[in-house]
Amino acid sequence: MGELATDKHVKYILSVEKRKDDFESVVMEHLRMNGAYWGLTALDLMGKLDAVDVDEVVSWVMSCQHDSGGFGGNVGHDPHILYTLSAVQVLALFDKMDLIDSDKVTNIVGLQNEDGSFSGDMWGEVDTRFSYIAICCLSILHRLDRISVEKAVKYIISCKNMDGGFGCTPGGESHSGQIFCCVGALALTGSLDLVDKDLLGWWLCERQVKSGGLNGRPEKLPDVCYSWWVLSSLIMIDRVHWISKEKLTKFILDCQDKEKGGISDRPDDAVDVFHTYFGVAGLSLLEYPGLKPIDPAYALPVDVVNRIFFKK
Amino acid sequence: MSQTGADLLKQLEDIFESDPLIDEVGFVHPSQFDLLNEESSISSNSSDKAISQATKSTASSEGCSEQKNKSFWNKDHKLGISTSILLPLYKAAKLAFMTALKQYKTYGNQSDEIGNWLPASSSCDLQSILMRHSRSLLLLSCDFMTAWNCRKLVVSKKQQHSMFLDELHLSALVISYSPKSEQAWNHRRWVIKSISAHCSDFKDLLRKESELVEKVAERSKMNYRAWNHRCWLISYMDQEQAVCELKKSRSWAALHVADNCCLHYRSRLLLKMMEESGGSEKNESSGYKADIKQAWKDELDWNETLIKRYVGREALWLYRRFLSMYWINNFLSDSGGTSYNSNYCDPFLENEFCLIDSCLAVQDNEFADFQSQAVYAASYMLWLKVQVPEPLGNVLRAKMRAMDLKTLVDNSYQERSSLFNHFMS
Ligand SMILES: [Zn+2]
Repeated sequence: MGELATDKHVKYILSVEKRKDDFESVVMEHLRMNGAYWGLTALDLMGKLDAVDVDEVVSWVMSCQHDSGGFGGNVGHDPHILYTLSAVQVLALFDKMDLIDSDKVTNIVGLQNEDGSFSGDMWGEVDTRFSYIAICCLSILHRLDRISVEKAVKYIISCKNMDGGFGCTPGGESHSGQIFCCVGALALTGSLDLVDKDLLGWWLCERQVKSGGLNGRPEKLPDVCYSWWVLSSLIMIDRVHWISKEKLTKFILDCQDKEKGGISDRPDDAVDVFHTYFGVAGLSLLEYPGLKPIDPAYALPVDVVNRIFFKK
Repeated sequence: MSQTGADLLKQLEDIFESDPLIDEVGFVHPSQFDLLNEESSISSNSSDKAISQATKSTASSEGCSEQKNKSFWNKDHKLGISTSILLPLYKAAKLAFMTALKQYKTYGNQSDEIGNWLPASSSCDLQSILMRHSRSLLLLSCDFMTAWNCRKLVVSKKQQHSMFLDELHLSALVISYSPKSEQAWNHRRWVIKSISAHCSDFKDLLRKESELVEKVAERSKMNYRAWNHRCWLISYMDQEQAVCELKKSRSWAALHVADNCCLHYRSRLLLKMMEESGGSEKNESSGYKADIKQAWKDELDWNETLIKRYVGREALWLYRRFLSMYWINNFLSDSGGTSYNSNYCDPFLENEFCLIDSCLAVQDNEFADFQSQAVYAASYMLWLKVQVPEPLGNVLRAKMRAMDLKTLVDNSYQERSSLFNHFMS
């Protein structure tokens, strides 16, 4: 298994940004803002955020903002709450929160619906992911009081299934990614007492398969990105001792490309930034030596979260 | 590489003009392309060539048909796009789309401010150009949200039923090459929500929508987006439709026992039936309750048959947890009464013990599936112990000790030991 090839991963992340000559990379340009968050957070966890040009990144981020306050996935793309959170997180990483017009970004409170749910944009699709994003975003901006937290929490609880997990909307199948969002939102609003921790912990710990990796749903193959979502949820509900952390660490390390850098979803697959971030973030939660600790709910390095809340 | 991206984009859009019924798109490697062309020229007569009428005419007029045959393939309303042209084609489509979108927005703002100072036709032209380019772009980049959004904008301004239906057609086309496209499924929900109030054959639309998911699920296993869409449809269904869907999806589920999505879908349909039955007064009769109980019993029996036939399938066991949890909460007290003692015997639980016993019996078998089966059975026993009312919990705990489940788990699946310890103490 070996160790985490930090230097290789840093190199890999920096190189991805420069690749613009193949279809596979340009076709992802609409979610470049998410990509920036994944790549930069991974760099920060590895202590190498200084390898990027802050001004360049920050001015690009700001050029994706619309008059409404929301951010697009790239320059010229429509705003969506998915990209707005990534933009705010990136600015937080660089300690550039003062560039954000908080009142303007707080316009996303307008996306809360009567039932407490959140739409992703003006077109109205509802998803518990958007609840998490809105709550996380507003919390970082110290504006959580601007929405009805009570209703938001009520809606999330209405998406709880009989297996203890959560789906995108009421009645949606339990899914580790959605569970992370729901548990994260409940953690950020101090409502974790509403979760049946034993039942949910049971479902989550059964995501660990023989290889040590975690899957996102029953019968699926293990995947590094789910290692983050399941692991952070287990930590938030205090049931992480129900899985084998050693085996999970080994699984993530086995997913590294030790020559060219980067981490893939499963051993021997092709690497990408998405899984590189989730791999590094997972190892950080597992307290892997040499990595900065990450906050399981904000999905930001702990020192960044502390800066947001104790600097003011 | 004599063709520019703009040429390629024009060709693609011409193919769509000439064959608006295209219902499947795929990216094809150049090496497969020759094969496709060969096959279609062998299997078809001269009037039915592989390349559509439109491509042929453009091709011959520009005198480079050889090149074009290697870019697009169109036959029987299927479209193949060569992977070798994806990059220039995408760049051209994106540029054309972004330019049109900018013009459309500028025009929209001007007309809002100054009134209709441009002739109506130019607004229509701009709209149709935008619709054409956004379609091309979405066929190459299925989650290009801004392109989906501009289509929503145009369609919601026009409010023509046929345009809404066109959107269903386009999103189905995108789903044909990218069955997990989140935006394409979103777009369908937006259309359905928009037309639900004034659609005369809405029931039929729901049925077709459900069939589409099944078709997609056949090719794309455990597709969360697709099944989530199908679950969402339930909110629009009445009880009759829910029952019908329950019947129809059973054989599919039995053929795809590892697909947890379909079992989840069935759990939602069952709950929908229960929910509906609670509301109306004619259903309050004990006869109806017996029917419901029977339906639940049938589902349990069916699931048991599958568990025994397909050894070691996690999804089947998890579905059983759902079924038995509901049974325990709703039907157990009917048969048991309130006084539980160590000799207490409930027919439902007796049956479960039998099933678990039979699955544990094979634990010495070396095949991994049988070992998994034993662990799933042990976990299911633990589940029952946690779910039953407290006095019964002791009965089950004793039973579990007798079965020596702890040793089984410690030996064959050590990672689960702490979970077992927690619930056994
Ligand atoms: Zn993944």
